[in-house]
Amino acid sequence: MANARALDRRRSSVRNIRKITRTMELIATARFKKAMDRSVAARDYTLQLAKILENIAAVGEDLSHPLLESRPAQRSAVLVLTGNRGLCGGYNSNAVKQAMGLLSQWASSDTDTHVTVSGKRGISALKFRGITIDEEHHNFEDKPAFIEVSPIGTSYLNAYTRGDIDRLDVVYTRFVNIAKQEAVVETLLPLKPAEDKKIISSHSGNLASEEYDFYPSAESILEEILPASFQARLFKCFLDSAVSEQVARMVAMKGATENASGIISDLSRRYNRARQTQITGEIMEILGGVEALKQ
Amino acid sequence: MATAIASEKKNGKVTQVIGSTFDVEFPESTLPAIYNAVRIDADHKGVKLELVGEVQQHLGGGKVRCVALGSTDGLIRGQEVVDTGSPVSVPVGPATLGRVFNMLGEPIDNGGDVNADERWSIHRDAPPVSELSTKTELFETGIKVIDLLTPFVRGGKAGLFGGAGLGKTVILTELIARIASAHGGNSVFAGVGERTREGTDLWLEMQDAKIGDTGRSVIEQTCMVFGQMNEPPGARLRVALSALTMAEYFRDTTGTDTLLFVDNIFRFSQAGSEVSALLGRMPSAVGYQPTLATEMGALQERITSTEKGAITSVQAVYVPADDPTDPAPATAFGNLDAFIYLERSISEKGIYPAVDPLASSSRILDPQYVGERHYNVARRVQTTLQRYRELQDIIAILGVDELSEEDKLVVHRARRMERFLSQPFLVAEVFTGKPGEITSLEDTIRSFEEIAAGKWDHLPEQAFMYVGPIEQAEEQAKKMEEKV
Repeated sequence: MANARALDRRRSSVRNIRKITRTMELIATARFKKAMDRSVAARDYTLQLAKILENIAAVGEDLSHPLLESRPAQRSAVLVLTGNRGLCGGYNSNAVKQAMGLLSQWASSDTDTHVTVSGKRGISALKFRGITIDEEHHNFEDKPAFIEVSPIGTSYLNAYTRGDIDRLDVVYTRFVNIAKQEAVVETLLPLKPAEDKKIISSHSGNLASEEYDFYPSAESILEEILPASFQARLFKCFLDSAVSEQVARMVAMKGATENASGIISDLSRRYNRARQTQITGEIMEILGGVEALKQ
Repeated sequence: MATAIASEKKNGKVTQVIGSTFDVEFPESTLPAIYNAVRIDADHKGVKLELVGEVQQHLGGGKVRCVALGSTDGLIRGQEVVDTGSPVSVPVGPATLGRVFNMLGEPIDNGGDVNADERWSIHRDAPPVSELSTKTELFETGIKVIDLLTPFVRGGKAGLFGGAGLGKTVILTELIARIASAHGGNSVFAGVGERTREGTDLWLEMQDAKIGDTGRSVIEQTCMVFGQMNEPPGARLRVALSALTMAEYFRDTTGTDTLLFVDNIFRFSQAGSEVSALLGRMPSAVGYQPTLATEMGALQERITSTEKGAITSVQAVYVPADDPTDPAPATAFGNLDAFIYLERSISEKGIYPAVDPLASSSRILDPQYVGERHYNVARRVQTTLQRYRELQDIIAILGVDELSEEDKLVVHRARRMERFLSQPFLVAEVFTGKPGEITSLEDTIRSFEEIAAGKWDHLPEQAFMYVGPIEQAEEQAKKMEEKV
């Protein structure tokens, strides 16, 4: 109990914290809306691409392309998407945890890894755990642009075709819905079509039965469509991460504001009690003195 | 002494009764001295009254004001009062061992008369400075948190501070079980204003407990003095002195290490405050008696070790409303070598003994006395727990994920240390089903050193609860894994 003044000081500092967290909550809400819109817009494009790919796959029996064939992983690339900022609950640490799981798996099977991390938080967390990071990106905030993402994608594609990497895994936070985001590991290379079979089939209707003619050839179309599909999927990872980060921040800050309010009301109660005790004590002492002097 | 003076009786008469104090008028020439015991043996209309009082004030005009050391029920004005000519005295010496007394030195265990060769007055001076012992030596208890963070001093005083229901009495009983049963010298227990039932339990327990493997029970080396809650304030005010006098005898004559347990020293201050107002003293801070520090000082200064022998004392101190700044515990605090503060928030986590590792301290937690290693480990544990406490507000608001990696590690270890400070007690075995654990100082230091160094980061938090040395935590972790 003790000191009323100390309690008051603590209470005002918690109040300041609450002011900040509430503001951050509002900002995150606004950013989430925007990021969400961008993600939805990109989703249609990705779906359409996936649909085409699905249809091609359904028609051509023997599709072969370097991006599709899986090789035994000797040199694996890992891309970890985290945020540049904290104050977003478990968003960063969950992604880092997933990344650590994947990396230790590669380490135990003696696979060479090429680690790329986006986001200051993930970089420092992985460095702290003794991971050597080969490439860092700091420039992705809440609005990742395709222009920024595609060079990364291109370099991965080139490395894969050259045989410098045998596999690419992306660790990112998938946005399921507003209440649920999960840190996942997704293998983008080798490219597996029909990843989201359910979504595709629900959209595709009965297209697979339609006849396709390929001009000039199935290969040349794949040449175009596979890299595009890869880029779209990679971009989607970035977009999902951005949305998830904002949601996570929104939820975390909402929780923080509520916690702060709880602490404030608890401190207020204790402060009032301490103050009242002090006053009562003083009155008692004065009264006692007066009584004693009367005799 | 008392019988010699009884021949020339100096009688007076009761003139006023105020609660547990009363005024007596004596002839001016035979006024009893301050602290003299006065006796009333009366039979009024079939109501028998035997009461001893202690002279506290000379009011002038032959009147003295006395504190009743028993119940004042049946006391009426005009009753005859006899001055015994000396302060209250209690039997001392080997004959007191194994017995239970009240504050007046009368046996209350139905064990017949006590044939002591000597009786000592309960009011004595503290030993002079020149005789005080200057040795400083650690006193091992086998309780991890105490040995590591608040080591006891052999021949020193330790205080157990805590609010209601935090386990002061349990720790005290535990210490009796640990120390007294492994201890060669005599022990004295003073029950001051606590539950009578607890006193009885302790008495029975001491009869059962054996000293080492000698086959003799602990009670044979112990004497107990009780002035519990049911007694009037006068008795509770003086019972600690009676017990202390018996302990002093052992110290001064036998030269052995004597243990003095007091439960609960706060009741002594409380009784003083009850009496104070009736004596007409002006109340001081928080309504306590103005003489609070003097009374406490007079008692505590006597509990000390001299060149002749040592008294090691453990005192429970009730902290009213969990407020350690309350004058009564605050006054007791200054007199102690080791200060153990029990904290409600820790007991709420289910960690017993609920010792607050940051508020508790000991005079000898200093490299000079306990050695560099012990000191460094203890400080490291405290720093870690301190940092954890500082971070707690942030964790409460933002969650543990927002901490930096270093701080997360601090929290991780602090939570394990916090739990590792718990320990199964010998006396709690019947409740917990876990046998008591006596951990050697070396094991304690090593275990905490390793936790601080991160050697046991992989064990789950729960594995650190209620174990002895760290190896047991490892075993417990294995068992927990098997269950899952």
